[in-house]
Amino acid sequence: MNGLILDMRKMWKSFQGQSALRGVDFSLHAGEIHALIGENGAGKTTLMNILGGVVLPDAGEILVNGRHASIPTPAASHRLGISFIHQELNLVNDLRVYENFFLGAELRTAIGFVDEQAMCARTSEILRTLDVAIDPREMVGALDASYKQVVEIGRALLANAKILIMDEPTTSLTEHEIRYLFTVMRSLAQRGVSVIFISHKLKEVLTVCDGYTVLRDGSVAGSGRVSPSVSEEDLARLMVGREMAVEHFYEPRPLGGTVLAAEHLSSDRFFRDVSFELRRGEILGFTGLVGDGRTELFECIFGSRKKTGGRVVVEGVPRNLTHPEKALAAGIGLAPKNRKENALIKDFSVRSNATIARLRAFLRGPFIDSRRESLRTQEHVKNLNIKVSDINLPITSLSGGNQQKVVLAKWIEAGSRIMILDNPTQGIDVGAKAEIYHLVISMAQEGKSIIILSSEIPEVLKVCDRVAVMYHGELVGVLDRDSATEESVMMYATGAKGRADALQQERSHA
Amino acid sequence: MSVQTTYQNIRRHPLAGPVVRFVAENSAIVALVAIVVIATILAGDNFMSQTNIINILRTVSIIGIISLGMTLIIISGGIDLSVGSALVLMGAGGIWVLNETHSIILSLLSTLAGGLIIGAINGTIITRGRVTPFIATLGVMATCRSLALYLLNGGGISATVPRYEVISNGDLFGISYPVFYFVIMTALVYVFSQKTPLGRYIYAVGSNEKATHLSAINVNRVKVLTYMIGGAMVAGAAIIETSRLNSVSAASSGTGYELDAIAAVIIGGTRMSGGKGSVIGTFFGVLILGILNNMLTLLGVSPFVTGTVKGIIIIVSVLVQRKE
Repeated sequence: MNGLILDMRKMWKSFQGQSALRGVDFSLHAGEIHALIGENGAGKTTLMNILGGVVLPDAGEILVNGRHASIPTPAASHRLGISFIHQELNLVNDLRVYENFFLGAELRTAIGFVDEQAMCARTSEILRTLDVAIDPREMVGALDASYKQVVEIGRALLANAKILIMDEPTTSLTEHEIRYLFTVMRSLAQRGVSVIFISHKLKEVLTVCDGYTVLRDGSVAGSGRVSPSVSEEDLARLMVGREMAVEHFYEPRPLGGTVLAAEHLSSDRFFRDVSFELRRGEILGFTGLVGDGRTELFECIFGSRKKTGGRVVVEGVPRNLTHPEKALAAGIGLAPKNRKENALIKDFSVRSNATIARLRAFLRGPFIDSRRESLRTQEHVKNLNIKVSDINLPITSLSGGNQQKVVLAKWIEAGSRIMILDNPTQGIDVGAKAEIYHLVISMAQEGKSIIILSSEIPEVLKVCDRVAVMYHGELVGVLDRDSATEESVMMYATGAKGRADALQQERSHA
Repeated sequence: MSVQTTYQNIRRHPLAGPVVRFVAENSAIVALVAIVVIATILAGDNFMSQTNIINILRTVSIIGIISLGMTLIIISGGIDLSVGSALVLMGAGGIWVLNETHSIILSLLSTLAGGLIIGAINGTIITRGRVTPFIATLGVMATCRSLALYLLNGGGISATVPRYEVISNGDLFGISYPVFYFVIMTALVYVFSQKTPLGRYIYAVGSNEKATHLSAINVNRVKVLTYMIGGAMVAGAAIIETSRLNSVSAASSGTGYELDAIAAVIIGGTRMSGGKGSVIGTFFGVLILGILNNMLTLLGVSPFVTGTVKGIIIIVSVLVQRKE
């Protein structure tokens, strides 16, 4: 017994002639938190789906606890003590915590009714071992995101899980919640449960994991122990397979006059008295913690949410933007967050997605001139370096980064002079992120004004001229590029520094 | 290229690919051919005679035209249960105007206006009132039927202008007019849905309403217009129906039309949740239903059994489509 709870050897898998895994080795010790990282399409999902019994490998062997195992179905995976916690949590919001715990396997009393008392007791017991005080009778929908993760973990423990697969569990969590989740993970590990942690956030990997495996193009690019000598750059290099050019995106450029001014904007619950200005050619970052109101603020400026006070002035003209149609006419475009739900017309081709906001430009008589439409789309594909072999392919066949570029193309096509990008690199791998940043910069150089909403402070610092920080619906600070550091922004984002300080700083700068 | 990507997993034999692909994409046509073959074998010459084929086309044209509008509404993510009752109300109104003014043009225009208004009412309740399409059009369905019964005292109304019945009962090259109306309307609606911005917006709204809204498209306007187009189609069907019989009955005209139209749309392969489908599929769906009815009649099967066969066909067609 070498302490290996899981040993996957020489895993091969191909889909329709495309190999997804080429002889991948992956092993996991009991009580280890092991990071599985790699760009999108590197094979992480396939490898984990094999473990979860969702797909069968073409070749290779799996040893669980030193014994050969075959995992033909998810049920078999469960029996081996493997639990998969998906990114989109698998919880029913309208049921109580204990009901979610026992969903489909309810405990029953002697006469066949559900035994609420026994289930609650067992649920409390497990939650106690996780050091959380959640009432088993609480509705899951009323819980914070991190507690929902804990409920999922608890449910896995109820099923006696020995190996937990967590797929990007931190994406929707705040800093504070992430720290809490890590504590829970560590206490699990101490009790001998092994965790496979899938993440794009290398910093988190170095914080919480014991070991790592990096996949690239279906092969292991590197693996080892996490130690102080392993840096984020090391991991990033393994992921992309080349020296990352020292990330230098920002170029100072001359800024023009004010193109967008928000004056005392308010919306009942979400934000209060927000004022800011955006200049021509400027990239303005908006950051803060989850629930800071920035998304709602810009939904309001884009006309898809009602405001209760204040006004928006676009290029010197006060506008009453009550519908996205009017925002479009005023030259404002919005690439919303949660691309799949909010930005993609999933049944449409790349072409139809790129042109939908300005179809009228392609009219010949009453009809769409599809030849002209195709030519324009081809141009965008070329200019934005969108990787697609045929613009008539469904948008869903593209990778996240390329989908996002199509969304950008839509607003470029629509002639937007002010672009609001909400979480533009969500679910996009490292290489494509860099491309998006370059695109943003080059759009700014062409004189477009850009607002980037992101909770990732390093991302905002990378490309923005100024950084605005929101806290609980208030704009608490606007920092110049020179004075904005990860630490200073975080001070504002957590409410440690307030509006008065920001004003003082602005004054001392001027 | 696009097709290869979509159907890669069922490509085995070099010929199997294209065949499977054709069946998958044109299940309605394949089903139609199958049913025609079966009908020919079972009912022989009676079925394949020219008069019988034209007769089938004439019979389905009314449901057919309603189904075209229904297709657009379902693609937009909605449904319209009011079509049958609305047909009676606007048909009765049209005949009343005809009898009062003795002008066929005015009668046609008023029927069309009625269709547009009822469509606008449906659309407005759904968008402004945020009522689900099923409930909104169910309410309008009940209201229209009741108004027709009230206005006609539970009876019917007959046209007193003799030329009115020519609209439906005339023929060209031995083919009665309604057949032409149906075919021409199918072509027009097809071009509209594929080639105009509004047509594309209808698909977009059904596919992802939120993303369409955030692409600066007025989703509410698209929906209202879709129901108005549906209403206009029902108006066309109302004109054919009233002209064919030269009258309309408040109690019995147009009953069950909504179900037949929805059935034709489903058999034609349009996705019930919206975003995907085609009026060409619906055209064949309508033919399948028509031939089925006709075949069972020719075979002397009790008319009471027709519904059972129809029901099975609807369910089977959905099952087959899901397999893809």
